[in-house]
Amino acid sequence: MIVIISDDSKDNWGAAFEETLLQTESEVFRFSSNKLDIKPCAACGSCSGKTYGRCIIPDDMQQVLVKIAGCCSLILISPIVFGGVSHHIKKIMDRMASIGDPRYRINKGEIVKGMSGQGMNYYMVGTGNNISEAEKSAFLYLHEENINIMSAKGRAFVLDKGFNRELINKTAQEILHE
Amino acid sequence: MNKSNIMLLCASPRSKGTSAMLLERIRVVTGGEIVFLPQKGSLDKLIPAMQQASTIVISGPCYINTYPARLVELLETASSAGGFTGQKLYGIINGGMPYVHTHRHGITLLQLFAERNNIAWQGGFVLGVGAMLDGNPLEKHMDRKTIVPAFDMFIQHIAEGSPSPDSLYEQAQKPPSKIMTYVFSKLLTFLVVKRIKKHGHDPDAPNWYIREQK
Ligand SMILES: Cc1cc2nc3c(=O)[nH]c(=O)nc-3n(C[C@H](O)[C@H](O)[C@H](O)COP(=O)(O)O)c2cc1C
Repeated sequence: MIVIISDDSKDNWGAAFEETLLQTESEVFRFSSNKLDIKPCAACGSCSGKTYGRCIIPDDMQQVLVKIAGCCSLILISPIVFGGVSHHIKKIMDRMASIGDPRYRINKGEIVKGMSGQGMNYYMVGTGNNISEAEKSAFLYLHEENINIMSAKGRAFVLDKGFNRELINKTAQEILHE
Repeated sequence: MNKSNIMLLCASPRSKGTSAMLLERIRVVTGGEIVFLPQKGSLDKLIPAMQQASTIVISGPCYINTYPARLVELLETASSAGGFTGQKLYGIINGGMPYVHTHRHGITLLQLFAERNNIAWQGGFVLGVGAMLDGNPLEKHMDRKTIVPAFDMFIQHIAEGSPSPDSLYEQAQKPPSKIMTYVFSKLLTFLVVKRIKKHGHDPDAPNWYIREQK
């Protein structure tokens, strides 16, 4: 199962990716993060203690977590904001801590964590127009660190020609063939 | 620096955590007031205070390798409002992992925000092993011998309004040795597993949301 979570504040990126992915994949779920009611993580610690593995904030993130826990690929699509993601997408990332494995592992000599279950492929797509080199490299760096700490696989893509169907199709195809 | 004109902004939802402790250490030297980022509602009301400050210091935790969503929201709001006139910005990010590279993105994010908004970026401070401190004084940090003087030097830079180089925090903390890496991962895992079991859960059971799907 592939889950797409996109910030569609400007253009309908998620739907465009879904259209291409559905040509090959039968199970694709899509959320527009900007239309969901998701509160910021409160760092209450419940998901690693009292309600281990479950976030206690009763909002739309509950339905998102049900889909992304155990999905095989997660695609986060966000405008590149100061070399990172928009706050709509960052709220999702922060709240994903509840499906992480809180135990520590060692990878390449460093302490890392992992996701619960089989582990997922984690893709990030950064969008924009004429994005600066500094912002592009910061965005790719964030993804690199994310897959490291989550012990996940996956790639980051930067689409800097605005809402461009051809580039969307090409990126979706690359994700399918990973 | 005009002491009354410094804004000390805490980007953690925890008012007694490590981000707040670091700001308090700065406040003792620079004066000013610590402002806690509201976790609910509009952030518009914070913008005039940011525009009126001559120096802004942001201290926040590292969530998934960069600052939390709510700070990103504030930066987006501030950037749409505009009206900055060369305010000086310093940033601090602290995270649980004993490395600089895992938290550094937050500092880059603030620098890029500053460059876009006519704000004078003055440098940042990355602190690893911040979770273990859990709001306790910096003197309890495992690299206290190098971290304390480095952070106090960072405070001096803020007080004097001078730029702070990355080398200051980079040289103050070393990644743990091979043996310590092993010891840490075993010890931290032991502690989290103990906590999970104390609450009656099985750490090896499939995640709650996976069980929900069935
Ligand atoms: C949702 C969430 C995500 C986190 N992600 C990371 C991370 O990616 N790397 C890390 O080292 N620590 C991570 N932490 C741990 C915090 O950075 C650490 O506990 C920090 O000291 C908290 O600062 P505070 O006391 O100022 O809130 C995370 C904590 C939370 C709640």
